[in-house]
Amino acid sequence: MMDKTRSAPARVKERLVTTTDQNPTRTDSPRDPWGQLLENVGRHQDRAAYQALFEHFGPQIKYYAMANGLASHADELVQEVFVSIWRRSCLYDWRKAAASTWIFTIARNQRIDMLRKMRRTRVERSVATDDLWQIPGEYEDEPVTSLHRLMSEKRVRQSLSQLPEEQLTVIAKVYMENKSHQAVADELEIPLGTVKSRVRLALNKLKVILQDQDS
Amino acid sequence: MSQHHPDSLTLMEYSAGNLSEPLALCVRLHLDQCPYCRSRVDMLDSLGAVLMEHQPRVSLPEGSFEAILARLDQTPPASAPPPRPAPLQALLGRDLNQLPWKRQFGDISVLDITDRFPDQPDRVVLQKLAAGGKAPAHTHRGNETTLVLQGAFADQNGVFRQWDFVALDQHHEHTPVAVGCEDCITLSVLSAPVRLTGRFTRLLNPFIR
Ligand SMILES: [Zn+2]
Repeated sequence: MMDKTRSAPARVKERLVTTTDQNPTRTDSPRDPWGQLLENVGRHQDRAAYQALFEHFGPQIKYYAMANGLASHADELVQEVFVSIWRRSCLYDWRKAAASTWIFTIARNQRIDMLRKMRRTRVERSVATDDLWQIPGEYEDEPVTSLHRLMSEKRVRQSLSQLPEEQLTVIAKVYMENKSHQAVADELEIPLGTVKSRVRLALNKLKVILQDQDS
Repeated sequence: MSQHHPDSLTLMEYSAGNLSEPLALCVRLHLDQCPYCRSRVDMLDSLGAVLMEHQPRVSLPEGSFEAILARLDQTPPASAPPPRPAPLQALLGRDLNQLPWKRQFGDISVLDITDRFPDQPDRVVLQKLAAGGKAPAHTHRGNETTLVLQGAFADQNGVFRQWDFVALDQHHEHTPVAVGCEDCITLSVLSAPVRLTGRFTRLLNPFIR
């Protein structure tokens, strides 16, 4: 089924390696293995790499769909996300976003898009989903922040396990069940202010966010 | 770079994909002009990715991957980035100053564009305060999010320039004045009507910047 001979010719790969070796940021921020696979998909339409990504991220995205009330469309969402990954993979640049971050934003946008289509009424949408929700790194070239971005994912991953359960619960509901802060407050029967302060504590602990200016 | 940014909680709701479409538009327009907030959102997107990774995995039915491969043959990979999105132009279609503005009173014109955002409860209004013009004092009954699209205005809280992001609630009372030589045009998303505090109390839908 998956045929290695379908992947890109060796000489193209050699050229790719030469190019990346010349990149000064490479030694500072080793690319993650998923990013490498994603680039192989983008540059060589490497279907073996694509399948490896599918096997790793597909089951995560399916859970994401189910947690979001799309249980009966979960397999469909996974399919849409992977078709979108295939289509956009040549725009992916490992220096601008970690692969899992990039894939998360595509899954988010496809979920929003699917819900928008299901809700569609008489009026045509005037703004496309991807014009409202940004995929990181697609329209910019900021080498200064790119290193910072890769580090941020590493840091988030390392420190997430140290968060108190009550903070983790709140942010997981916001991200995985797509509940607003108000909806989380209603569900947990705690004041909105408590939800917000738990989120702020979590973000501070993760050092995800610099201090807000206005709060 | 912009001086007034969305707070972390708003950016988190954006990253999670939970904001209403008009609020997402305000954030997106700001992000396109603000590297500081782009990097904050990148970090929040990473948080989303790591949270997704921590959830249980659900196995996919037999043949799922083959079904995707079958679709790929009709989906060539993009060879170049699509044109940079211009959501505002997509929405309004022409120059901001040429829109069919409705004069409200004094220096204020408005254009209600709520109907461009079907199936959601927020009211979406473009507002124009003529250069040098002043709006009546008012407070806000609900939450209001405003993005400056052109020009600048000043009030008790400071000066707000193009692409600045302003969030107000019922605790803010203010009297905006357009500063500079351009008309000040803003995009506002309102979750409840404004309450006037001055002598314009009887008027509906005033300059609710
Ligand atoms: Zn900003």
